[in-house]
Amino acid sequence: MKMIRAILRPDKVEDVVDALSDAGHVALTKMDVIGRGKQKGIQLDNIYYDELPKVMLMLVTPSEDTSKVVDIINEKAFTGNFGDGKIFLSPVDEVYTVRTRSKGL
Amino acid sequence: MKEILAIIRPNKIARTKEVLDALGFPSMTATAVFGRGKQKAIIREISFDIENSALCEDEGSMRYIPKRMISLVVPEEDTSLVVESIMKVNNTGQIGDGKIFVCPIDDAIRVRTEEKGEKAIL
Repeated sequence: MKMIRAILRPDKVEDVVDALSDAGHVALTKMDVIGRGKQKGIQLDNIYYDELPKVMLMLVTPSEDTSKVVDIINEKAFTGNFGDGKIFLSPVDEVYTVRTRSKGL
Repeated sequence: MKEILAIIRPNKIARTKEVLDALGFPSMTATAVFGRGKQKAIIREISFDIENSALCEDEGSMRYIPKRMISLVVPEEDTSLVVESIMKVNNTGQIGDGKIFVCPIDDAIRVRTEEKGEKAIL
């Protein structure tokens, strides 16, 4: 299993969530984060924003679905400008469901 | 070392902390998050009363449910003990009890003393 953490523009998140649930990946966790990328924030006229608000989506999928999910996020969150975000993949060893106290997604 | 990421009900956080403290794992990071599970967000999951009863019957009408995410890094041999105790405390049998993810961690460093590895987390 893989954990996908996608840091996206706040206004693109709902598009991504809807596309993912259409594709059958309903379960996810969303959190508001603040960060910056390679461009070190943004300069608008004479105001310099060091950190920008983003939304992080976190979802765990079976390894075989990972590339499909990443493709969906990539397609829906794309604008072509700096600040579209990053997607990180990391391994997950075990998953437990608390209600049934069993292993597995 | 393993990272245990548990997404649980916000009203269970105090009891979970108590139990983990008693087991000897007092350190953790908690974040308020929003999320939904396989069943989509179910409005009955949230703990306060809703006056509009038609709203309660409409399943999948809410986009997200507020949850608390706790993250703690434990030595590999303690993983199952911590997972079992979190599951025991948080089990209510209702949909929305949460998930627990166990992820590998390569190294840990304590900033104050620059200790590395398991010394840094214990």
